[in-house]
Amino acid sequence: MENQNPTQMQNPAATLGQGPSQPQENKPMRISITLPTNAYFVSGIRDFTLGLIRNMTSFSEQWAFRFQSVVDELCNNAIEYGSRPGEDIIITFVNRSNESIEISVQDTGTGKSKMSAADLTQLVKERRDPNYVHTGIRGRGLSKIVSEWTDELEFKDNENGGILVKIKKYLKDPNTPKSTNPLENPTHVVLN
Amino acid sequence: MTQANITIEDIQVSNDDIVAKLVKFQGQLDESNVDEKAKIIYELIEQTPQNLYLLFDFEELEYMNSKSIGYLTDWYTKITEGGGKIVIAKTRSNILDILQVVGLTQLINCYATMDEAKFALLQPAGGDEN
Repeated sequence: MENQNPTQMQNPAATLGQGPSQPQENKPMRISITLPTNAYFVSGIRDFTLGLIRNMTSFSEQWAFRFQSVVDELCNNAIEYGSRPGEDIIITFVNRSNESIEISVQDTGTGKSKMSAADLTQLVKERRDPNYVHTGIRGRGLSKIVSEWTDELEFKDNENGGILVKIKKYLKDPNTPKSTNPLENPTHVVLN
Repeated sequence: MTQANITIEDIQVSNDDIVAKLVKFQGQLDESNVDEKAKIIYELIEQTPQNLYLLFDFEELEYMNSKSIGYLTDWYTKITEGGGKIVIAKTRSNILDILQVVGLTQLINCYATMDEAKFALLQPAGGDEN
């Protein structure tokens, strides 16, 4: 599914907000985007993610923003650690209508901090421990944002030596509260 | 680079022992700009290492990534170690959501209005109910 033209989407359904490109009911909508390893381009992916979730899925507005953060964190990790400058990362969205959304980000394994899938799995496990204290500027992306806002998080070693990180969120997750607006959550913060 | 601005204004206080500032954030704090923008707050902390009281106005802050939150945590640590305080006002729901998921709202109180935030910022230590 890789596209040779960076940032160009393969699936015509990627033209958001234009009625005729709505996906067929039972066929997963798959979109792959190839980005150069430059943080400059990630804001465009955030905008794309927000539009995709809002317009092409049944997830709520709150989840559109959450996926925006999840994608941003995965892309930043891949750019900073996974693929060296001048190479690419590939972001793939698979939307199964009324069921789930799956997002994967793969790097080339040539970046400044090569880790195996097993290393990353262990790292996230350690940082998700309730007793783990985050003291640095970094380290909250995977373990707090991505882990907390997804149902499945999986790391795979690629044939090319890189890492593929795949997340999945089910639309009808029984564990998802019906109302999760933080402004309405009495446990969140007192505003008086 | 993604657009983001931080502007700083003085808050008039009757207590000469403290320095209070209103810090307005606008735009999106992300990987492309946060290291540069964070320096503005670190300069403030360097200028006033003791008793610095900051009111962060997040009304026009549209996005912040995990690294921005890391910086926010570090500013909180440095400022409170110096006897100062940080509060946040007028946060958008998506920003509040991300602050909550990383646990930052357990450290820094968020308020719906500027008046509430200013009151909480300047009230004597121990008088904060949150």
